[in-house]
Amino acid sequence: MIMRLKDCHNFSDFRKLAKLKLPSPIFHYIDGAADDEITYARNTSAFDDVDLVPNVLRGVENVDLSTTIFGKKLDLPFYLSPTALQRLFHYDGERAVGKAAKKFNTMFGVSALATVSVEEISSMIDTPKMFQFYFHKDRGLNDSCLERAKAAKFDVMALTVDTITGGNRERDLRTGFTSPPKLTLSSLFSFATKPMWGINYLTKGKFELPHLQDFVKEGTSTNSSIGNYFSTMLDQSMNWKDAEKLCSQWGGHFALKGVMSVEDAKRAVDIGCTGIMVSNHGGRQLDGSRSPFDQLAEIVDAVGDKLDVICEGGIHRGTHMLKALSLGAKACSGGRLYLYALAAGGQAGVERAIEKYKSELVRDMKLMGCTKISDLNRDNLRFRRT
Amino acid sequence: MSLKNCYNFEDFRKLAKKKLPSPIFHYIDGGSDDESTLRRNTDSFNECDLVPNILASVGKPDLSTTLFGRKIDMPIFLSPAAMQRLYHPDGDKASARAAEKFGTFYSMSSMGNNSIEEISNISSGPKLFQLYVHKDRSISDDLIDRSRRSGFDAMCLTVDTLVAGNREKDHRTGFTTPPKLTLQSLISFAMRPNWVFNYLTGKKFELSNVKKKTDKGTSIAKSVIEYINEQYDPAMGWKDAEYCAKKWNGPFALKGVMSVEDAKRAIDIGCTAIMISNHGGRQLDGSRSPFDQVKAISDAVGDKLEIILDGGVRRGTHVLKALAAGAKACSFGKMFLFSLAAGGQKGVEHLLQNMHDEINRNMVLMGCKNLKELNSSKLIYRSRS
Repeated sequence: MIMRLKDCHNFSDFRKLAKLKLPSPIFHYIDGAADDEITYARNTSAFDDVDLVPNVLRGVENVDLSTTIFGKKLDLPFYLSPTALQRLFHYDGERAVGKAAKKFNTMFGVSALATVSVEEISSMIDTPKMFQFYFHKDRGLNDSCLERAKAAKFDVMALTVDTITGGNRERDLRTGFTSPPKLTLSSLFSFATKPMWGINYLTKGKFELPHLQDFVKEGTSTNSSIGNYFSTMLDQSMNWKDAEKLCSQWGGHFALKGVMSVEDAKRAVDIGCTGIMVSNHGGRQLDGSRSPFDQLAEIVDAVGDKLDVICEGGIHRGTHMLKALSLGAKACSGGRLYLYALAAGGQAGVERAIEKYKSELVRDMKLMGCTKISDLNRDNLRFRRT
Repeated sequence: MSLKNCYNFEDFRKLAKKKLPSPIFHYIDGGSDDESTLRRNTDSFNECDLVPNILASVGKPDLSTTLFGRKIDMPIFLSPAAMQRLYHPDGDKASARAAEKFGTFYSMSSMGNNSIEEISNISSGPKLFQLYVHKDRSISDDLIDRSRRSGFDAMCLTVDTLVAGNREKDHRTGFTTPPKLTLQSLISFAMRPNWVFNYLTGKKFELSNVKKKTDKGTSIAKSVIEYINEQYDPAMGWKDAEYCAKKWNGPFALKGVMSVEDAKRAIDIGCTAIMISNHGGRQLDGSRSPFDQVKAISDAVGDKLEIILDGGVRRGTHVLKALAAGAKACSFGKMFLFSLAAGGQKGVEHLLQNMHDEINRNMVLMGCKNLKELNSSKLIYRSRS
């Protein structure tokens, strides 16, 4: 039984501890995905269809894990994807995650639906930061987000393009997940059995969505499900012209998050993007969608020399990252990768998770006979089915 | 359940589980990370099928082959495995005697609990010594000299253990050597009084081959992980391997080669054999399985090196498939360690008898008179879509 942070050695351990600590609707909001969760499962199992082939006797005392994306050098080849509502998972929320990212000098992704403001985050950490942007119907809100992120000196803007409507997250339908949490009869029991979560939620500062609250009521007072937010607030007419306009309005490193086809990846180059996240939103949107790792090689072949390709989703292990990097991804990222750890232990939890992945990477690089990320290439891999 | 009810890998495993304190059982049984490579090592044999020939007048098939310059009676042998006295009080003595009886190789680990000299006194059968390159090079030199003086036939250098694998079962059970009694593991030890009695009344537990050079193996409770990370040299390169091969100046293998490129290089530095191995799935999880890789390596270097497939072998048919794909012989660790834990020398002999009978029966069913007749025409890989 996993009861303490120091019992957590891997992804699944952090997940178990998070389950113990969180009220069930909130745990299932993180843990769940769309429809039958087939894509969610495939995102991880895709890594099992390819094997690593190590080289021996290469002298591997010192391993350098650093990589450069969006013009910023990171000490690790993975970073923390933007995720919404972090203060629901631990009362320190983005403050905890940001400080952990800073400690390891990797990028911290801040969601438009963050519960701590870009200004506060920027005053807290000087390491690389990405702001994740949703395209709302309210253009005033869009402009405000962009201006605030720019003023707060964020390094990268990532426009999410795979949430034009809410995914069918059936677990949330059953548990009645809303933000802020609504006490329904069915969830009451679960909240009541995790009193620490309830006490912290009620006493550690008001729950807010600081980037939205001046514009929409969904930010604070009314209970709204995330699916409902996507479906009613976001502009479903968003197209390539809008993305191009945002990109030039931002005027810095700009990425599309949720690109899956080669055609779209090429178009991202044309509109001036400097990176793309190959992602299906952690299996939370279109179930049956291809996994990022399955699709990675095609995309790298088409555009890998023109922008930074990031593999996002399904990563549980250092070896998963090694496989994605060998195929040509510049970096990897994940949300659940650190969210369970956040729920399990706040900043200390996220730091422990990053430390675990880092030590896995160092060990696995040595076992592969590699001392730097650029040593990894497709010769290291054999696909089981060709 | 007793030894005579053990018909296969799973049976020996179950009996070992009953006899061993849980941290020790899991040390043998576990792999690294999610154990996906550990599973794949065996699963990969199921992706191809054997195609028998009928009416071949087989009679009694000849199972013998030559390996490292010695004739052996069957194409399997015992992989080097550390600390065998943790599994049975007779430790390496039991394994060495059983292997000799069946006319095949016993292998001694650098981290054995019996000394090189002790084993060479009790067995004149074929013997392989397994070497780790320690940061203190005089340890390796000493091991090579002593192995030669004691009449070992061959030497293999392990090259996939520059850093310890992430064996999460050991984190959880608190496996150290010598075993440390934590509250968690106490119950498990207490429930196996025989094991504890033998352990406490037997000879002092030590890493006999390296004890003069380092105190790490004896006085301090150390996990294997810490030992590997402190003692082995992660800077080891091809020059170091070449030095060992030259100094040994006899049949020499690299253990843990997985890529074709490295296999070719092994020839250049004077190896006579390689062991295709991922350390039983205990090091790099996600690594390719030996059987998945054996054909490519055999096609490239099979005429210049003896190729040994190490890992995942549980059945006579697995051996046949490996040989058909180009291996000269197969070796296994977990399987014989379970049999050692299950019944000491008798346990290992029982296992070797089972494997001998399986190989023999399957050769007859395949219509093969000798091992040379096993070639790629006998295998069909299932369609790869």
